[in-house]
Amino acid sequence: MIALAVACALFSLGLYAVLSRRDIIGVLVGVEIMLGAGSVLLASLGAASGASSGSVQAIGVMVLLLAAAEAAVGLSLLLSLYRTSGRSRVDELSEVSG
Amino acid sequence: MTAQSAGLALAIALMLAGAIGAVLLKEVMRVMIALGAFLFGVAAMYAYLGYSFLAIAQVFVYVGGVLVLMVFAVMTARRADGERPAIVSRHDVGSAAVAAGVGAMLFLSLRTAFGDTSVPVSRSASDLASELLGPRLVAFEAAGVFLLAALVAVAVILKGGEER
Repeated sequence: MIALAVACALFSLGLYAVLSRRDIIGVLVGVEIMLGAGSVLLASLGAASGASSGSVQAIGVMVLLLAAAEAAVGLSLLLSLYRTSGRSRVDELSEVSG
Repeated sequence: MTAQSAGLALAIALMLAGAIGAVLLKEVMRVMIALGAFLFGVAAMYAYLGYSFLAIAQVFVYVGGVLVLMVFAVMTARRADGERPAIVSRHDVGSAAVAAGVGAMLFLSLRTAFGDTSVPVSRSASDLASELLGPRLVAFEAAGVFLLAALVAVAVILKGGEER
């Protein structure tokens, strides 16, 4: 039950970062915290319910891969955006062009 | 206090302190250090629960990979600025209320799924190998293709930015 409370608190903190940060890097950090909270919740639930350890670890590895890919794409977007427009604040980005 | 409960307390303290620092601090490098503490805390939690392979992968992939990537991206993107890079925030009651509400909702909806505190046991990496190369082989291969697609996407995004 402690793990659940901690995971929910971490998810709330990550969501608060996504909502309140105005910089893309801050939003990315918030998403990483939310993904970490989800992984902790998954592992704790797996341990508490006696699920197969292979399944829990396999899904944990998948979440890890997803988070790494998300960070790589998000940071490349940040770099590309900063090079082309010199901006990195989410509230300054109101247009989408192809 | 036994060694196990001390380990759990350390992992929780690292995670919470790191996450609070990453959310509230302004200077980018301090935010990265706080995020690193959070990620180490998650690895410690995995180790406490007995998932040793996940703990090692967490340190290698996140702390050694993603965090360093973030630091490089911040340094590359903002090297032209004369001042120390800071993250702009707008802390308001609405965002805090939404975040707290979602957290409370998650807690209330999932609390029946948790029983008593689990006892940590040893969970070896061979379980993971037999799972990934057995019933989850398709998902494992799909994850590899997904990572390749992410790499190609990164190359395309950065090349598009250079041409513009």
